[in-house]
Amino acid sequence: MRLNLKDIFLLFIFFLLQVIWFNHVQILHVFTPIVFIYPLLRLPLQKNEIFNLMWAFVYGVTLDIVNNTGGVFAATAVMVTYLRKMYFLFLKNRSFDLENFKIERFTGLQRYVYYFSFIFFSQILIYLLDSWHFSLLWHKIGLILVNTILSLVFFILFDIIFYRTSKA
Amino acid sequence: MFKLLRILISNKNFLFFIFLEIVSFVLIIKSHDYAQTKTHDWQTAVAGFFDRQIYAINSHFYLKKYNDSLLKQNAQLIQALLQKKYNDKTPVLPGQFKVKPAYVLTNQYTFDHNTLIINKGRKDSIIPEMGVVTNNGVVGVIQKTSGHFSRVISVLNKSSKINVALKNTNYSGFLAWTGEDPNYFEVIDMPVNANLKRGDTLVTGGMSNYFPRGLLVGKIIDFKTVPGRKSYVIQMKTFADMTNLGPVYVLKNNYKAELDSLKLKQ
Repeated sequence: MRLNLKDIFLLFIFFLLQVIWFNHVQILHVFTPIVFIYPLLRLPLQKNEIFNLMWAFVYGVTLDIVNNTGGVFAATAVMVTYLRKMYFLFLKNRSFDLENFKIERFTGLQRYVYYFSFIFFSQILIYLLDSWHFSLLWHKIGLILVNTILSLVFFILFDIIFYRTSKA
Repeated sequence: MFKLLRILISNKNFLFFIFLEIVSFVLIIKSHDYAQTKTHDWQTAVAGFFDRQIYAINSHFYLKKYNDSLLKQNAQLIQALLQKKYNDKTPVLPGQFKVKPAYVLTNQYTFDHNTLIINKGRKDSIIPEMGVVTNNGVVGVIQKTSGHFSRVISVLNKSSKINVALKNTNYSGFLAWTGEDPNYFEVIDMPVNANLKRGDTLVTGGMSNYFPRGLLVGKIIDFKTVPGRKSYVIQMKTFADMTNLGPVYVLKNNYKAELDSLKLKQ
């Protein structure tokens, strides 16, 4: 199953959102929400993940070119896309019907935990890949946590904007 | 052979994932070392194209603000020109620095290694290792150029070290960004003999050949001595708001090659 037009549209919109607006926003002079992984977390689950991984890579590399960040966004986007499937398989069991599952079937709390886990993970990954200072991670963990919560608020808003009318 | 092929096919998702991660890591490693300065111009050109479109949209909303800023800068330049006639104490040779105005198209300040893109490039005689300033302070140093754009290593970059001095003295140290607030820096290696006070002004030291001596950088917020070393670590706030950059000036040091050749001979 390949991506539908809405998924591609979302990738494009979130690329623009991250580049034009969120990269330049600093809430309280410190916090910068990371929203670019939102469309990746909403991609349809597939048995054959190659298309999803390819889209994630192209999406990440484009962000890297515009931000001059080497391959930081590409590595993060690919990692999130791959681990997402592991996350679902871990939550459910092996007989879980991946292809027909929709995020909307999650209850509110399940969805927020799903978003929170991946936002938190991707922020740590971006920090480590950008700075290469592994020992300083603990000093940043508070900042990353608050940033994750702020990003989660935006994700909830995006759910309302883009998926309000969708049915599970 | 068939068994190997079967294993490969059954694990194609994982293998493809590993392949993409390796490619990403190669890109990261290339961007973190010297090789970055050698990457092709197309990357700067593509980034410049995007930034120009974004800038075209944003500039409509900031026209008045930029105009006000330019008027202020003009006023300061005229004032500096008048003062220079009577009080020329700056150790700069006549015509040593040539100034070219430019606009910041993209300004990063959320990463540890931030850069900027400006709308002037090789066709405007911009070359790497030129200093970039605003009317309020230092912005960075040109890293690489394409035809119409240049990439600047921002002072908000952990690998950037710029020579600064205490105003009206010869005591100098190095400006280093801590990676936190974009308007607060540390100055390291300032000798303890310097008579520091909170609120003192720091200016460019003029030893790097990128910037003339005496350009405003920031003011001292706090300072402390380094145990075991005869130097201060100074907490400093910049005069320029690094999160809000518009018009900037690129400085060409006409004697840089000559000065650099002497340094090499040492």
